[in-house]
Amino acid sequence: MSGFVIEFEGEPVQARAGESVAAALTAHGIRGFRVTRSTAERGVFCGMGVCQDCLVEVDGVPGKRACMTVVDRPLSIRRQRHGAALAPVSDAMPPATIDELAVERPELLVIGAGPGGLSAAIAARKAGAEVVVLDERRSPGGQYFKPVAVAGDDIAPPDAQHREGLALVAQTRAAGVVIRSGVSVWGAFQRLEFAATSDKGETRRYLPRAVVVATGAYERAWPVPGWELPGVMTTGAAQTLWRTARRLPGRRVLIAGNGPLNLQLAAELHGGGAEVVAVVEAAGSAMRAPAAVAAMALAAPGLVAQGLAYQWRCMTGGVPMLHDMVVSAVEQRPSGLAVTLAGGGATRVLEADVLCLGYGFEPSNELLRALGCRHDHDGTRLVTVRDADGQTSVAGVYALGDCTGLGGARVAAADGTLAGLAAAAGLGHAVGPELARLGRQAASAAQRHRRFQQALWDVYRAPALAIAQVPDDTMICRCEEVRFGAARAAISDGLADAGSVKRATRIGMGPCQGRYCRPLLEALIQEATGKAPYETSGFAPRPPFRPVTIRDLAGKP
Amino acid sequence: MSDALPASIGTVVIGGGVVGACVAGFLADEGQDLLVVDEGRGAGSSANAGSLHVQMQSRFMRLYPENVPNMELQLPLYPKAVAFWRELAGSLNADFDLKMTGGLMVAESQDQLDFLGVKAKRERQLGLDVEILDRAQLDAIAPYFGPGIVGAELCANEGKLNPLLCNAAIRSWILARGVLLAEGVSVAGIARSGTGFAVTTTRGTVTAGRVVLAAGSGTRLLAAGMNPAINIPAVAEPLHMNITEATAPLISHLVQHADRMITLKQFGTGQIVIGGGWPARQDVPGGHAEVELASLIANASLAQHIVPSIGNLRIIRTWAGLNTSVDGMGVLGAVPAIPGLFVAIPGDAGYTLGPLSARLVADVMLDRKPGEDISPFRPERFE
Repeated sequence: MSGFVIEFEGEPVQARAGESVAAALTAHGIRGFRVTRSTAERGVFCGMGVCQDCLVEVDGVPGKRACMTVVDRPLSIRRQRHGAALAPVSDAMPPATIDELAVERPELLVIGAGPGGLSAAIAARKAGAEVVVLDERRSPGGQYFKPVAVAGDDIAPPDAQHREGLALVAQTRAAGVVIRSGVSVWGAFQRLEFAATSDKGETRRYLPRAVVVATGAYERAWPVPGWELPGVMTTGAAQTLWRTARRLPGRRVLIAGNGPLNLQLAAELHGGGAEVVAVVEAAGSAMRAPAAVAAMALAAPGLVAQGLAYQWRCMTGGVPMLHDMVVSAVEQRPSGLAVTLAGGGATRVLEADVLCLGYGFEPSNELLRALGCRHDHDGTRLVTVRDADGQTSVAGVYALGDCTGLGGARVAAADGTLAGLAAAAGLGHAVGPELARLGRQAASAAQRHRRFQQALWDVYRAPALAIAQVPDDTMICRCEEVRFGAARAAISDGLADAGSVKRATRIGMGPCQGRYCRPLLEALIQEATGKAPYETSGFAPRPPFRPVTIRDLAGKP
Repeated sequence: MSDALPASIGTVVIGGGVVGACVAGFLADEGQDLLVVDEGRGAGSSANAGSLHVQMQSRFMRLYPENVPNMELQLPLYPKAVAFWRELAGSLNADFDLKMTGGLMVAESQDQLDFLGVKAKRERQLGLDVEILDRAQLDAIAPYFGPGIVGAELCANEGKLNPLLCNAAIRSWILARGVLLAEGVSVAGIARSGTGFAVTTTRGTVTAGRVVLAAGSGTRLLAAGMNPAINIPAVAEPLHMNITEATAPLISHLVQHADRMITLKQFGTGQIVIGGGWPARQDVPGGHAEVELASLIANASLAQHIVPSIGNLRIIRTWAGLNTSVDGMGVLGAVPAIPGLFVAIPGDAGYTLGPLSARLVADVMLDRKPGEDISPFRPERFE
């Protein structure tokens, strides 16, 4: 096995080449990464660069996300302490202007290299467009494919889902699409101007003629007392550890949430040698919704078979399935996390090293909102207004997949093809009969998979989070450590909009930019005032959408 | 306040930023009944970055050289305005995170230092506590500047505060005094009605004995729509701001530059706020301002040029706000042509001057002699 010895707080840790710092440390039982203002420790939570809770200092450079930092050499890692002193720097760079930034003017810019973005890139390229894809992760594939990043004899080989992703990436490259990985797009401005910084610290300006936004989704908060404790992470974070680095999040893993991803994770971690304490599902058993199961089977028999296989692997592996229950509290005990489950008027406590929470997703729509694309609020989340080909309300801006509302990887891939063709046509490229046929196939696949998705939601229908029941001492804003009680106090003081509560309480002022607290705050405001959330009722989109280091804006010395 | 507005009230204050809110608070302290109408929520002050300016800002001197005589006319008010903020914190028993640590305007060349020398001499004549420091003297009190800085002007009267804390405390104060606050309500017009006014809003018409225009640059259109039309040439300056994540205490001063647009300061939260006049865009007059990439790059890269160690900090948020500029001075007091109409626009550094300006206007409205000569700021000077 190729690897490096990295240091964590002075202690050596054996890491695999290509894995994330988060994966290497997690594999060695290290769960506390950043230290907050109140000196609490935080660990890997989202595992995908959104939450900013796994911050570490890497070789003396502060503010690095452990989940996004790849081990490609021996590294010295320290916990990121809130408000830590800065090292003196003597090499000031001259003041820069925007004209000194490198500029790229691709005909079509695709943001996000998941199934949707890659499908869009392929379709547009086939129609003759010159396409550049930007993606924040080290390898393309996004949150659905999560490519294996490590190699070695002891590494489980890629599975079918991995292989499908590799094939799609290969097809994208073969078509002549340029994929730039490790590039974070953190700014979107009027007139299709984008700012992006690479993991090497180089900032560029992108001025495409058209853009396809396919930035996916991140997991919604499940706010219960203790949800900020190290060891509590999203289902996606645990899946990333396993699927990309072949690392288990812990020995005893409790998985709780709503939806099929939790079952897949349970099957994968069980197969990888973890003890899956239980899968706790908020919905009732699928057997209670036979019509919906039948609809799913008709729309996508392959996916249903896959789901059944996950279920079978859990069952034969002795993983308990607990239906109609949710996590209601987490507490750190010397022997592990004590997780309280509630449902049907009863509670029970299970102990685990790691708790995975997978209670649905929230669209990553900040670039679209910054570009001025119109959105509707469907009562739960924002949905991008777009036509069947992905054209948004802003000329030259196309959008698809989970960032526009939720639909899953298959819908994203099909919509990607449609958006890619529409973008190419909009740029003046002819869409010939062969591509038109591809478009018709994609349209019918999109329709079929939407039916599947609808039936899936019917099967997994569960009560929504009861925001009124969340105790006052529960964290609402993880970044600024503000609790529900403070939010409720501000609202009862007469602050009736998210922006005012933000300014009064600091909720949403941290580096994650309110991604987790914003929907919770809007639900609290709705509960108190009866005002339903709408397009602009949340926090205004404010670049940078990922924190950006000042040095990286000033060019190189 | 989400229900209907009152049919009539003693005074309507238009604009609920720091100035309008404080005018209302000072009048309510004397038992008057008031309605504050604000198009947004917390108006312009929701975007303020918390500098307490005293010395003349090189930015305004460069941009509007014709305004310099007016800036000098208002200059003696600035240190008093800062002192007044401190008084207000005391009387409201509130923590504003107010620090009177002084302000440094740095120079990178002898020319710039000479300019600061001339400026400091004039400012001293006008009562400011300023001195010129060479690099060694600068390092003794602020050992964090980059290699290019040759010296600075230190103004001991300057400081900083956290506007989020101030705005929240001022809001609590005026609500406790019974001021009615109508947010998200626009004013369509102000008509004279009997001896008072009929203020038409998006939530109905309110009659009032007196009206205060404290709507920043929005005052221009409101005043122009009166009968007779009043000329208040206030313009909006859409400006860009940045804030970093927290770091250990490093920069105690309010930092500016003799020849480049920047303000740089550290809040009690440990976060560094970088601003200083880089433009934001405002596509529709009166509409929201949006940040621009060019300003973000220029402002942030200049900040690390002046204080290199912050290059390793991350910017976590930017925002845009509207400053209001008139002719280098505020517009304060009664409008002689329309009895019962008052204007309260503080001047170039609106937030710094806000509470004191509000106090002076409130004094006029209470038939008290204001503690300062406000005749240079009279609203009729543009007629």
